[in-house]
Amino acid sequence: MDEPSQIPATDGVHSTPATNATPVPGESRAVAFGIAAWLLPGLGHALQKMWGRALVVFFAVGLLVYAGASMRGNVFTRQGSDAFDTLGYIADLGAGSFYLFARAIETGGADVSHADGDYGTRLLATAGVLNLLAALHAYEAARGHKA
Amino acid sequence: MTAAPPLELTHFQAFLLFAVVISVAFGFLGRRRPKDRVKYILWSLFLFLLVGIGVGWAMFPFSR
Repeated sequence: MDEPSQIPATDGVHSTPATNATPVPGESRAVAFGIAAWLLPGLGHALQKMWGRALVVFFAVGLLVYAGASMRGNVFTRQGSDAFDTLGYIADLGAGSFYLFARAIETGGADVSHADGDYGTRLLATAGVLNLLAALHAYEAARGHKA
Repeated sequence: MTAAPPLELTHFQAFLLFAVVISVAFGFLGRRRPKDRVKYILWSLFLFLLVGIGVGWAMFPFSR
């Protein structure tokens, strides 16, 4: 009885040898899902029909952004004066389109002279980093890794 | 777009908001089965509260 010489690939991810330089099928799809997840929190999971995770990510990031902006946290911009501002900008950008939402609703500007504003700054940064983590999760899930 | 209404939370409320949201998100991202998710969320929330309040009390002698 003939045995298959190779283990058949189930999703096309591992169908090419590791030494082959051509990109594996599905890799570009996974990257697209990761970018979609970054642009709109939860979209990367929704495209893979992971509805529960999509809703939780959307509302978790949205709630953190809304609370942070309502508490007059600092929404960092490109014009940072030091490394911490730059890091804060990178973290805030992680929220994708919700970064623009935060800037739109915080019309009064930041007020970090009170504890509320300081907490708001942390919540905004947390929203961004959480969304980056969710985008990475969506990317890994699209690659077929157990999640 | 209209401005968001101001939100004023106490230290503990802000801390609790952070802990609950992050615990739920981690639970859903990190676990697949509903029972495992609930266990993970509760355990993560408990540790957030324990460490947060513990660190707060640890800083108390230096606060004045």
